[in-house]
Amino acid sequence: MAYKLNEMTLLESINGLKKGSITSVGLTKACFDQIDKYDSKIKAFLTLTKDSALVQASDADEEIKKHGEKSFENKPLLGIPYACKDNFNTYGIQTTAGSKILEGYIPPYESTVTSRIKSAGAVLLGKTNMDAFAHGSSTETSDYMKTTNPWNYNKVPGGSSGGSAAAVASDMCIFSIGSETAGSVRGPAAWCGVTGLKPTYGRVSRYGLIAMASSTDSPGPITKNTEDAAYILSVIAGSDPFDATTSHTPIENYLKKTYSYNLKGKKIGRPKSYFNIELEPEIRVAMENVFKVYEELGAQVIDMDLLDPKYSIAVYTILQRSEVSSNLARFDGIRYGNERTAFGFEAKKRMMLGAYTLSAGYYDQYYAKAQRVRTLIVEDFKKAFESVDLIIGPTMPCVALDFGANESSSMFGELMDVLLGPSSIAGLTSISVPAGTGNELPVGFQILGPMFAESAVLGAAHKFQGVTNFHKEKPNLI
Amino acid sequence: MEKKLIDIEQVKKVAKLTGLDISGQEERFVELFNETLNYVEILGELNTEEVGATYHVTGLNNVFQKKEDPANTLSAEETLKNAKDSINNLFITKAVFER
Repeated sequence: MAYKLNEMTLLESINGLKKGSITSVGLTKACFDQIDKYDSKIKAFLTLTKDSALVQASDADEEIKKHGEKSFENKPLLGIPYACKDNFNTYGIQTTAGSKILEGYIPPYESTVTSRIKSAGAVLLGKTNMDAFAHGSSTETSDYMKTTNPWNYNKVPGGSSGGSAAAVASDMCIFSIGSETAGSVRGPAAWCGVTGLKPTYGRVSRYGLIAMASSTDSPGPITKNTEDAAYILSVIAGSDPFDATTSHTPIENYLKKTYSYNLKGKKIGRPKSYFNIELEPEIRVAMENVFKVYEELGAQVIDMDLLDPKYSIAVYTILQRSEVSSNLARFDGIRYGNERTAFGFEAKKRMMLGAYTLSAGYYDQYYAKAQRVRTLIVEDFKKAFESVDLIIGPTMPCVALDFGANESSSMFGELMDVLLGPSSIAGLTSISVPAGTGNELPVGFQILGPMFAESAVLGAAHKFQGVTNFHKEKPNLI
Repeated sequence: MEKKLIDIEQVKKVAKLTGLDISGQEERFVELFNETLNYVEILGELNTEEVGATYHVTGLNNVFQKKEDPANTLSAEETLKNAKDSINNLFITKAVFER
C-alpha cells in the first residue's frame, strides 16, 4: 500500500482487516501516531482513550483471527478506530459537550449511536472538541480550546462538530461521528474538505446525545468519502425505543443502494435564492463545475424557486434559543456537572434569549410565529420535490474564516449556516461533499433530498466522487 | 434604524428566570439581544394568518412506551456517582424553604 494505514478509508480498512493484510492494532496505533504528531497543533481531541482502544483493537484482531471474514457479519465495524464528538454520552468516559459545566462528568450510560457503533466492533480513539453545547459554527466557543483547520492552522475548522471534521481531514481516525442541529456536520465537513452526512430528523436516535435543539438534532457520520458514510448510516440508523421521535420507516442497505443509484434522467434543482446571497467568487466557480459534472453524468439541472434562506435564519434563531433555554435548564450542579456559574457566555446568551422568546407576552410574537414560518419552509420543500428529485447548492457561503470572525455578529453561526438552516428546520436529509479548493481552502457543496431519501442523496454524491478526485485531496500537514 | 426591543430590566429578569449570573455583562446582552430581535423581525414579511405551527417534522404523534420495550434504569449508586453531595442514596440539594 502506497500510503499510511491511518490514511485509509473505512471500506479499505475493512477489506484489509478481512484479508488479514492489516491489523486493528496496527490501524489504531497509526491513528494515535498521527494524533501524537499533529494534535498539539490541530487540537481535535478533548479526551483520548488510548488504553481501552488498544485493548479493543487487540480483541478485534483475536476475533478476526478466529472467525475470519465471518466476524464482520454481526460486527460490521470490527476493529475500526473512530473519533466521537464529545456530546454523545459514553459510559465511563468523560463527556463534556465542550462545556466546563460538565467538566468531570462521567456518564453512567451510553448513547444509542455510540452503543450501536460499539456493538458493531469499532474502536473509540477519543472524544472530539466542539462549540460548547454545540452552540456555534466555528468550534471557537468550546470552553476548553480552539480547534484549528488542518488545511491552515490560522483558520477555524467550522463547527460545531469541528473536532470530528478536523480529525478526519488530518487522518487521525478512519471516520468520526458528529451531530447537526442546523449545519454542524455539513459545515465543518465543507470547511475541512471531508464528507458529512446529515440524516433525516428521526432517522438516527438522539438518545444520550446532549440536547441542543431537540426538534432538529440529528447525529451523522463524517468520513473520507460517501461510501463510508453510507456504510456507517446502516449501523446507526433505525428506530430506538429510548427515543420516541425516531421513525419506524424501515432502514435500507444504504451502501448497496448508493452503488445502484442511477442519475440518468434525474432532475436536480438549482435554487436561485441560494445563489442570490453573498457568495465568495471561489464558491460560485466550484458550483458551476459541480453542475457541469452532474449534467455530464446524465442529470438535468433546473433553476428553481425556494424561499429566501434568510427567513430560516430567523426561524432557527428563535427555535434554537427557545429549545436551548429549556434543555439547559436541567443543569443545576446537583445531580451531575458543576454549578450554573460555569456556563460560558454563548450558552448564557442563548438560554436567556430563549427564555425571553418563550415568555408570556412574547410567545406568539416570536416562538409561535417562528413555528408557523417553519410550516411554510416545510411546504416550500414539499412543493419543490414535486418537480425535482434532489436540490444542490453550496454548503457554506465562503471558505474557512479566520479566528475571531464569530465576534462580528450575535448570530454569526446562523449567518454562516444560512444555506443549511432551511433543510434542518424541515428535517430533511443532506450531504456535504468536497468540490475543490478556493484560496487553498476546501469548498463543499450539499445535496438535499426529501425526508428519508438518504440513499438518493448518498447515491448522487457517490456518482460525483466516482468521476472527481476532490474528496481525495488532503491538507499538507506541518 | 435599530429599534430597542428589549431593555436592561427585561434582560435582568430573564437572567433571573434562567438562574444565571450576568453581573457586569448586562449592557452587552442588551446590545446582542436587540441585534437578534431586530433581525428576526423579517418574519413579519411573511403572512402566516392561515398557517398552522410545525412543532415536529416527521408527523409522529402519541408515541408511548410499549410494555415489551426495554427499560434502562440506573441503580441508585450509578445515579449518584456524579452528584456533588449525597446522603442515604439521596441527592443533597439547596434548601427551598427556610425554617
